[in-house]
Amino acid sequence: MPAESEVTWVEPAKLGLFEQLYLPIITDGLTTTVKHLLSVGSRLTESYPEQEPKLPPNYRGVHRLNKDEQGRTKCVACYMCATACPAHCIDIVAAPAPEAWKDREKYPETFVIDELRCIYCGMCEEACPVDAIELTTLYDLTGLSREQMIFDKEKLLSVFDQTTKAGTDPVRTRSGALGPASEAPPV
Amino acid sequence: MPTVYVNDTPVEIGTKKLNCVQAAELAGVLVPHYCYHPGLSVVASCRMCLVEMGELKDGKVTMQPKVFPGCQTPVKDGSVIVTGEYATKRANTPLAYDPAYKPGDRAKKAQADTLEGLLLNHPLDCPVCDKAGECKLQDYSYQFGRTESRLVDEKNQPPNKPELSSKITLFTDRCIMCTRCVRFTREISGTAELQVVGRGHHEEIDVFPGFPLENKLSGNVVDLCPVGALGSKDFLYTQRVWYLKTTDNVCGNCSTGCSVHTDTNKDIVYRLRARENLDAQGYFICDEGRWGYHYAQSPDRIIRTYTKAADGKLKAAPLGPAFPSMLKKLVEDALYVTGKKAVVVLSPFLTVEEAFALGTAFKGINKDVRLVLGPVPVVGEDDHYPKNAKGEHVPPAKFTIHAEKCPNRHGVEAVLKQLQGELIRFTDVTHHDLNFLWFAGGYREPKWVDMAIPDGWKAPPTLIVQDHFASKLTAAATVVLPATTPFEKEGTFVNHAGYVQPFPRAVKPGTEVRSELQVAFDMAGKKGLATVAPVRDELAKQFPQFAALAELKTTANKKVALATV
Amino acid sequence: MPEFDWLTLGIVIFGVIAVVMPTVGYLTLSERKISAWMQDRFGPNRVGPLGLLQPLADGGKFFLKEAPIPRHVDKLFFLMAPAASMCTALVALAVVPWGPTQPPVQLVATVTEAGTPAPTADAVAKFEEQVVANKKEFKGVILPGLDIGILYVFAVGSLAVYGIILGGWASDNKYSLLGCLRSSAQIISYEIPLGMSIVGVLLFTGTLNMEGMIDWQAKHGWFIAFQPLAFLLFMTSVYAECNRLPFDLPEAEQELVGGYLTEYGSLNFGMFMIGEYTHMITTSLLMTVVFCGGWSLFGLENLMADSVIWNGVIKSGIILAKAGFFLVMYQLVRWTIPRFRFDQLMDLAWKVMIPLSILHLLAAMLVREFNLNNWVLTGVSVALFLSAGVLGVLFGKGPNNTPRRRVVKRQPELAAR
Repeated sequence: MPAESEVTWVEPAKLGLFEQLYLPIITDGLTTTVKHLLSVGSRLTESYPEQEPKLPPNYRGVHRLNKDEQGRTKCVACYMCATACPAHCIDIVAAPAPEAWKDREKYPETFVIDELRCIYCGMCEEACPVDAIELTTLYDLTGLSREQMIFDKEKLLSVFDQTTKAGTDPVRTRSGALGPASEAPPV
Repeated sequence: MPTVYVNDTPVEIGTKKLNCVQAAELAGVLVPHYCYHPGLSVVASCRMCLVEMGELKDGKVTMQPKVFPGCQTPVKDGSVIVTGEYATKRANTPLAYDPAYKPGDRAKKAQADTLEGLLLNHPLDCPVCDKAGECKLQDYSYQFGRTESRLVDEKNQPPNKPELSSKITLFTDRCIMCTRCVRFTREISGTAELQVVGRGHHEEIDVFPGFPLENKLSGNVVDLCPVGALGSKDFLYTQRVWYLKTTDNVCGNCSTGCSVHTDTNKDIVYRLRARENLDAQGYFICDEGRWGYHYAQSPDRIIRTYTKAADGKLKAAPLGPAFPSMLKKLVEDALYVTGKKAVVVLSPFLTVEEAFALGTAFKGINKDVRLVLGPVPVVGEDDHYPKNAKGEHVPPAKFTIHAEKCPNRHGVEAVLKQLQGELIRFTDVTHHDLNFLWFAGGYREPKWVDMAIPDGWKAPPTLIVQDHFASKLTAAATVVLPATTPFEKEGTFVNHAGYVQPFPRAVKPGTEVRSELQVAFDMAGKKGLATVAPVRDELAKQFPQFAALAELKTTANKKVALATV
Repeated sequence: MPEFDWLTLGIVIFGVIAVVMPTVGYLTLSERKISAWMQDRFGPNRVGPLGLLQPLADGGKFFLKEAPIPRHVDKLFFLMAPAASMCTALVALAVVPWGPTQPPVQLVATVTEAGTPAPTADAVAKFEEQVVANKKEFKGVILPGLDIGILYVFAVGSLAVYGIILGGWASDNKYSLLGCLRSSAQIISYEIPLGMSIVGVLLFTGTLNMEGMIDWQAKHGWFIAFQPLAFLLFMTSVYAECNRLPFDLPEAEQELVGGYLTEYGSLNFGMFMIGEYTHMITTSLLMTVVFCGGWSLFGLENLMADSVIWNGVIKSGIILAKAGFFLVMYQLVRWTIPRFRFDQLMDLAWKVMIPLSILHLLAAMLVREFNLNNWVLTGVSVALFLSAGVLGVLFGKGPNNTPRRRVVKRQPELAAR
């Protein structure tokens, strides 16, 4: 609450003759609207099904789970996304990583996102320490049942394949290692 | 009175022999520490507790020129302790320091430098570390440490040692070499499996090949580890600790009655940790209690009510609103004439309140009903620690696992003696010809019930069993009711030494479960939800030794020391 | 007493309604299209080519949707309201000429100029002759030659408010009631300048008959030239009468949900819409007929004077084109001027328009009394308009009681950022 000393009061501007006469002002307004009426070329509407929208790369659509170079999920099942999620739509079951995965100890046995419950805020992406979860520009998410809209790990990984193949969402990841804190500082 | 000054706050220490950490704690000042543990010997190896020391003599303070490890430095009258938080946490007017002396600066720098050293080789894999959220290294780094590492060389990355034990895994790279675990195995369990191998930056915790960390107290090293190096395989990767709700509970697995923290999430118990209670058991708990909670979530558990159908088989019965009155009618009909041939068994797994409420309820229906103490499971002999390499106990005992595997024999016995003047044991009535038997069980091992039933035992016509698992008794029962575990109820246990411990409820029982106390309310004809408080009041009114219980309306997170029974 | 040919009359009525209804439909489409274009959108373009079948789809939807009647409403009045709204609008349309009209049959004077009585039989014969000749003409009006024409339109047109008041009252709903109360206050207020503005015209034409008005203007020139102020007042009042923006307070959805329309759905709602748009058509035609010379257009109407049919088509075309212009004007104004606040609305009617119309009427009377040139009235009209503006500048209280605004000074460091 600002103090009264910080407040100025602005009186409304006094009307001149033109304003009082109404007509010149109305003519002015009509000119503007008619100009728009006649400017056929500047229609802003996108005819959606025929015309795909151009979305910015930071559009927050369907999630994907990123894969590393060996095709494994990058996720380390740290629950940071699930913790950050305000809608509680992420459900992870962690497990010790398979023996063959030498570089990590933990991986998600299951990773389920309820796309219906999700509010697409992007907190999960921000929270992820290994850039494993990202929101893609896939916006036309549909399903015939609630079950279809609950995406499991395979589905989320297939979204990665789909979006990288289509080139709509290139991998934005810097590193797959754990967090910037664990990286060696620049020399 | 001897007085110590902690950040200018005078603290009277009396005749106690304290070190700086303890003295500071008395003053409400935290001296961060890793290797120091009140239950273990002091080694001062982590250097986290460095403080500035001095002496107040004749109104003048003489400070020592170096910093001291707080855990290893005893205090005496006139000792002056200045911690790294002096500048921010000082409460009183400053003592008469040397004007050139800047209190707290050295300690603060020492703390930050110590942390930097500890973090040199730490992998900082907090996101995948189970300790994250309750990790002292995280907390102190945040509170006292530097924001970034200056290390340019590669970190040591020694391989993990999952084969350390069948129950415990070691993430070697996270270890900060506080050696609490090593000292524990040497001093408390005495089994000395763990040791430090290597030197300098290549120090590691390890076991001798072929001698894994397998003793009945091994789980305590997980609690002791201030970082995420030692992990319980039972809890590994199941939950992040910030999802867990901690309840201060009492272990119900033996008559020691250990104080524990029960960590739950969404009414599922995920782990038990030792709760420091010098009156009950000390600082530690045994593995049997620590990992013995699984029966509460066993798929074999009876979680709903069954009644005997016409064909003699048990059928699941819905727990409708009419069920309590139906059950009461069944009991009343059976008890109407033959009170002498009716027996109510109260197991030593019940809480004091439950035993009392059930006892009075049945006595109220027919005062000739005999209240009987249920079978008391005894497995082996009392197991005392520490032990030497041959497995023999070396007195004095620092921890005892009792052979009596029930938590509340003393409490139930006391209640039974008060209610009917004599104590009848289960073995006394198994050979009698009975008309009615109510068995309030709660046995986590069905074989303990089976063992108490003699061969050729004839089941009474009305047998109502409230228990966790199917046994010989449930097979012959007319009605089987689900029971509640100590996690699922509020109540009071009296341990082997007569120490009374009230505890709150940690998780909700299943939806179809009618707790023992609720059933007792049903039998007494009381309406509404059963709560412990009125039972405690009544108990305290009737029996003076439980008088202190009445003052404890709630038991949440309260340290209790009542008059022993 | 004019004679009625029931068959022709029936056909004409059917024909007119058959034209008006689709027109209303396409008016809604044009309304949506124009608003869309003004807002740089496409507007409805999915049903049919360029969305041209959209009104059909809308109409079909109106017919097929369930008509919800809330349980608590007064059912009779609730259903009567949309009917009243639509019927009055259609009935008002009956006398509005939309084609080539002839001056009405004049009663033949039975007194000569000198004051001596003329032979009555001659006069009657002459009148009969005129009537017969008149009947042979094609007339773009259902009820031709109604002598109280414009009064009838006003009378019936004002009844439209009954639809709104009934609807609002019967809906038994606070918002509806507020909407209908606003509407009644508004319409009654604007009736006055509406009627007053046209009295000046009537002074000159000497008839209420609309064919007569067109005839006068064809001979002397359009009233919009002689009485521009009257036209302005008339047009403004008509906007208010039709509940069109900027005077659509009865259905101000930001404040009143939907006003009197809140509880209506399906065809009931559709009837209100038809009523409103029919009203727009009527008033547009009225503006054309009363102020803009009807079918006259600088001699263009006489292009094919010899062919009755072509002449009729041209004249109808002219009058409809003029009406069409006013209809588009309605829509242009809708998306240009924001809605008035209610006190501003009342101020405009009572403090500006009614005094102006009285003064204008006075001027018209003076001009007529002293037989001055018609163009004098034009000058007076403009002068009155300008003087009203000057008075507003001199004594106006600022822009309609707008309160002063509270502005927090920005912190210097914030401003520097």
